[in-house]
Amino acid sequence: MSGIRIDNLTKRYKQQTVLDGISLEVPKGEILALFGASGAGKTVLLRCIAGAVEPDEGRVYLSGNDVTDLPPEDRGVGMAFQNFALFPHMSAENNIASPLEARRSSRDQIAAGVRKVAKLLKIEHVLGHEPKALSNGQKQRTALARALVAEPDVLLLDDPLRNVDAKLRFEMRLELPRLLAGRGATVIYVTQDYKEAMALGHSIAVLDGGRITQIGTPEDIYLRPANMEISRLFGDPGINLLNVVPERDETGVYVTLSDQKLHLAPGYDAVVGKAAVIGLRPEALRFADQGIPVEIEAETPFNEKTVTLTQTKRGRELFLSRPAGTPGPSHGAAHIAADGENAILFDRISGARITPFPRADEEAA
Amino acid sequence: MSILDLASVNKVYGGKVHAVKDLDLTVEQGEIVALLGSSGCGKTSTLRMIAGFEEVTSGTITLQGQEIHALPPARRGVAMAFEGYSLYPPLTVRENIAFALKSERLAETEADARVKEVAHLVEIEDILERYPSSISGGQQQRASLARALIRKAVLHLLDEPMGQLEPQLRALLRGRIKHFIQERGLTAILVTHDQTEANALADRIAVMEDGELQQFGTPEALKERPANLFTGTFIGEPPMNVFEAEVRIDNGRLAFLLGDDTSLDYDAGAFSSDLRQRLVHAPRVTVGVRPHAVRIADGGLAARVAVNQWLGDQTHISAEFAGSTIVSVIHDRMQVSEGDRIPITISSDDLHLFDSASGTAISHGGSLA
Repeated sequence: MSGIRIDNLTKRYKQQTVLDGISLEVPKGEILALFGASGAGKTVLLRCIAGAVEPDEGRVYLSGNDVTDLPPEDRGVGMAFQNFALFPHMSAENNIASPLEARRSSRDQIAAGVRKVAKLLKIEHVLGHEPKALSNGQKQRTALARALVAEPDVLLLDDPLRNVDAKLRFEMRLELPRLLAGRGATVIYVTQDYKEAMALGHSIAVLDGGRITQIGTPEDIYLRPANMEISRLFGDPGINLLNVVPERDETGVYVTLSDQKLHLAPGYDAVVGKAAVIGLRPEALRFADQGIPVEIEAETPFNEKTVTLTQTKRGRELFLSRPAGTPGPSHGAAHIAADGENAILFDRISGARITPFPRADEEAA
Repeated sequence: MSILDLASVNKVYGGKVHAVKDLDLTVEQGEIVALLGSSGCGKTSTLRMIAGFEEVTSGTITLQGQEIHALPPARRGVAMAFEGYSLYPPLTVRENIAFALKSERLAETEADARVKEVAHLVEIEDILERYPSSISGGQQQRASLARALIRKAVLHLLDEPMGQLEPQLRALLRGRIKHFIQERGLTAILVTHDQTEANALADRIAVMEDGELQQFGTPEALKERPANLFTGTFIGEPPMNVFEAEVRIDNGRLAFLLGDDTSLDYDAGAFSSDLRQRLVHAPRVTVGVRPHAVRIADGGLAARVAVNQWLGDQTHISAEFAGSTIVSVIHDRMQVSEGDRIPITISSDDLHLFDSASGTAISHGGSLA
């Protein structure tokens, strides 16, 4: 059963269409990560689902019921926001209790509900504090507790980790799936951070200019991005994108990078001679004894990986990444070998991914 | 050769907020130094004192052998890209950048070439004729960065220079800017709350917290030899795993007893004799292990998978271990899911021990810190 279904939702403000025929479905109990840059329409979409904004066209179904014409309080939706939106004059406890108060639950029920969710989020010791006495991390947990306390069927989280520090963000990213799964709620999780989207979403919807440009599993998005822009947004450092015109020899279809042939996986015969762009992930490139000659521009040692920015003789910039602790050159001239089998190809004009035929993924299955 | 010296610098606001405490910091010629910390740690106050936007409460700042802390900003010979240090609205982006060259009295063609070079560097060639009010915040930030980098100043100060840029562009600009600065032998100080930025750009990183310098070293030193538990857990994404432990040494074995009857057990010979001495006398320690040093391999200790998150080029696994949680980062994709049992091994070389009370590092690997 679907926990959330949205059917052809459109919202215009004056002449501007901010949501343009959005349809999506989230199975009950799953998390959909809604990913997009600011201005893509993510927050408007959430507000349409919550009932705070009325769509011009389209329907919203929650737990199978059409709620499009229901007021927000009758939709059974919990929300948490990036700016926390806590009531400043109320203690954390009263903030968390507010959805239960609104429902006129009994005093005992409220106390029990608050205690349970506070324990889960490890904020029992700050329940008496007002928001101004809380750290950002505690504020964010309080806001989440308030969203969870009424055990809503649908939970809308608008970039809740955006304003907390890196360490807490990691902790919460790892904790959230269990926290949410235990409650059976269907979740839409808005984020601008692709890692958060991949880590938390059972599926990811990419929103761009009010439209969904791809919806799929993290694997679909990373390995089979619908277009060049999506491939660019998922990955850090970003995917290397190079203009190529594929050719064919006796071995198969290949592209030429700095006079080096790079053979592609089977199935790209249709693009021979056409203007294309090849996408090579930084982790799919490696230093080798021979291959594409480059100059190393800068090396960045991160904790878990080492990233190197290089430049080819023709001035193309290529990023490489390798696991930390593995050897590699850090300056001067070097050669790069690429794994053509895992390259992604795009149409240079439309930007759309070129699907190999027969599709390699189907063949494997 | 040191170019900038901060000696016992203090900053106290309004007689009560002690924002920077007895800071000693030396920057070498041709070096990129990052001041890293969370908001309120004193990093921005420090940069503003170097720039001359804030007075020092006490202490001295010396640039190229000359005390500068009493000079007005314009006479310090530093170039700045500050958040909110805005572009001049009546000038185009090109004019804003070229304005920084005025004191060099260059021929027009040379000035044009220099502008072109930095504009290319930060990807703003297509907006050079626009006015600041008609470009985005991210573009303004890049224009401001270009204006600072184009100058041949003794010292470049960059305050969160890429905070408003999208991540992919940021990664590219970091690489280019590092190359640009190194190639010209410029000296730069960067303030950031983002450890990725600090790691990417800096030769050395000064980690600050609560107005105090916690550690000043290369990215490698911070990663491999954190001076205390704060630096150890602050640097690293995901953060270092931390366990309280009691050390037991007998029969040639050295074991760390963690919670839940779990013990990390090693040949005592893997630890130097002076370290063993130290542990015999004070057996309660905090054990730190970086996520990428937590290996999943046969014969290891039992852990139960809580979460498996694949991020494209790496997998983050969080597992119940020793009555707590342990996080492992692996570079391949791993097909385990919630509830699965996995074996965990940690090499003695990858252990960081900290004094449980003070947080000061005791050892890294088998030797004393």
